[in-house]
Amino acid sequence: MDFAITRTLGARLGLRQPQLILHLVRRELTSAHRFTMLGWAWPLARQLAQLGVLVFVFSSVLDLGIPDFPVYVFSGLVAWSWFSSGLTEASTSLIDQRHLVFQPRLPTAVLPIVAVAVPFVDVLMAAPVLLLMLILSGELHLTALLFPFVLAVQFVLMCGVAWLVAPGSVYVRDLPNIVTLALMVLFYLTPVFYSLHKIPQQFEWLLQLNPMTTLLELDRALLLGLPYPGVWHIVGTVALAAVLAVAGWFGFARMRPGLVDQL
Amino acid sequence: MRHALVFENVWKSYPRWTQDGARTSRAILTRRLPEILRHREARWALQDVTVRVGHGRMMGIIGANGAGKSTMLRLASGLGQTTRGTIVVPDGTASVLSLGDTLDLELSGRENAYTAALISGMSTAQARRTLKSVIEFAELEEFADAPMRTYSDGMKLRLAFGVVAQLNPPALILDEVIAVGDARFQAKCMERIDELRAGGTTVLFASHNLDEIERSCDEAIWLQRGKLRASGEAAEVVEAYRDGMRLDTLAVTPLGGEEDDVEDGALRLGDNRFGSQELTIDEVVLTTANGVLADRVTSGQPLEVEMTIRSHRGPTPAVVTIGVTRLEDQVMCFEASSEELASELTVDEGGVTLRVAFDPIDLTTGEYAVDVGVYEPGWAYGYDYHWNAHRFAVDDDRGVKGVYVAPRRWAPVRPAGASAPR
Repeated sequence: MDFAITRTLGARLGLRQPQLILHLVRRELTSAHRFTMLGWAWPLARQLAQLGVLVFVFSSVLDLGIPDFPVYVFSGLVAWSWFSSGLTEASTSLIDQRHLVFQPRLPTAVLPIVAVAVPFVDVLMAAPVLLLMLILSGELHLTALLFPFVLAVQFVLMCGVAWLVAPGSVYVRDLPNIVTLALMVLFYLTPVFYSLHKIPQQFEWLLQLNPMTTLLELDRALLLGLPYPGVWHIVGTVALAAVLAVAGWFGFARMRPGLVDQL
Repeated sequence: MRHALVFENVWKSYPRWTQDGARTSRAILTRRLPEILRHREARWALQDVTVRVGHGRMMGIIGANGAGKSTMLRLASGLGQTTRGTIVVPDGTASVLSLGDTLDLELSGRENAYTAALISGMSTAQARRTLKSVIEFAELEEFADAPMRTYSDGMKLRLAFGVVAQLNPPALILDEVIAVGDARFQAKCMERIDELRAGGTTVLFASHNLDEIERSCDEAIWLQRGKLRASGEAAEVVEAYRDGMRLDTLAVTPLGGEEDDVEDGALRLGDNRFGSQELTIDEVVLTTANGVLADRVTSGQPLEVEMTIRSHRGPTPAVVTIGVTRLEDQVMCFEASSEELASELTVDEGGVTLRVAFDPIDLTTGEYAVDVGVYEPGWAYGYDYHWNAHRFAVDDDRGVKGVYVAPRRWAPVRPAGASAPR
């Protein structure tokens, strides 16, 4: 059987890229879990351990005066960990996978997306845990059905940043360090463990500049029935995600041709 | 269009890398960054290269390491851009620039073959359909579900080429990766490439293996420091390249000093020792089977040659040759190179010791010499070559004439004087 590799049905429908991304994600996860004894239970175990610690610390050790605090922190952590590990991985996705960049028929733009998609599995694993907690705390609202849309906005936002940061790191090798540092700073400027309404008024604007603040607020509004962020914050964040994705797409296309010479 | 694959006055430069980042930080601190950017030099990897390959033809590229072979193949594959000039390649060209570096060691052969198929441009449906043929071509049916880390290098290579063998591209860009691996599989790969060519596939093939280029290519080009030095019929270009190598080796041989005479005993530079001496062959010892030093061996008995090669300029890849010459008439009885080893040879200051065992050495009575050489891996010039320096004699009391004592069995089919079978 011979195949000319152009003009297949999948390619004409534009399915090749999604197929490739899905396969590369699956490959990475399978490779990581194949020979472990717990296998696919590991990501789930991570989430359960995370939750156990949260419940212990915030219901027995510390009391910050936020209702349903373990669920509050858990939902925030899930979204934040995805954001943080996805972008960290994306920043080195081309440098560390030089051999894939050198595959002439593999669209390079797929690689940062794979890096973003792999830690999303943790989000998927956390979803049933989160659901169970919402039921237990009696906070199950119908609005929770909109939660995936917030994740989608976050995904678009992350793709945009990943497309800029991954090839950028090839040209400026300091960039992965800058990304790690920026994420560390940003973590403290994101209301994961605290509430936006508990901080001094004069600093609130600083946190509001952070798109993750709005996304986390939105997550909690939908899941826990907490107050919604301002409508302009939501619009602004969605617009930012869209602009970044477009900028990322064009930025990547611009930086791509020179990648091979720099790696 | 008459040509399938065209390089038209192609120039390619790479940015020259500075040693480390510290320099840049210092430059920023001292506000000299604009100056640094302005002075960024370029290194020309290709200079004004024009090559045209007709439909279904196979073009070989030869040249020393760093001559621009890989750059040409990369550009033809669509990796990177030319600095000047244009390249025309048919749509859907497939490339084999490296084999096996995308393989995941934890996953099975089958899974890896599937990934490789997707990466090489197939859709999931195509990849699923070809999977069986890939495993079959690679002859890995038994191992298909074993994790890749249990595979030998040869098996990985077979798997990777198995995927390539399933493609039917209009043009194929081949680096010499297929030159490693066992001879039988290599032949199978070349056979598959011939099949593709019969179907109209144009091939661009870079290799260090001059014999292979001569045998399988229609035409060849010789790249030297990024420039086209010769092009034409494969056999002619290879011949010119070999002549060039001999002259270049003579040109880089340092003038013999007295010190060398003392140190190396019978070896004299420019007399029976040639090459740049960046790498040297320090000890050459001929022994018989039980490790006894040998200057006389009996034909049919084993002979072992042990040599130590040292580098005088840091780790250097090299290719080693060993040959046997009959002294009286300078007949080359045979010559072989380390290219037939599966792995590449890198020599460092600590030295590499190689032992070549001839078991048995089937030569007729006479005086012979073991000629050893160590060369730049692209055969650009020799680092060190000992000519007729390490001598030995062969005794053969069976009175065979010629050079080679062929293993033979005489069996009288019919006793002399007997009549025809009854």
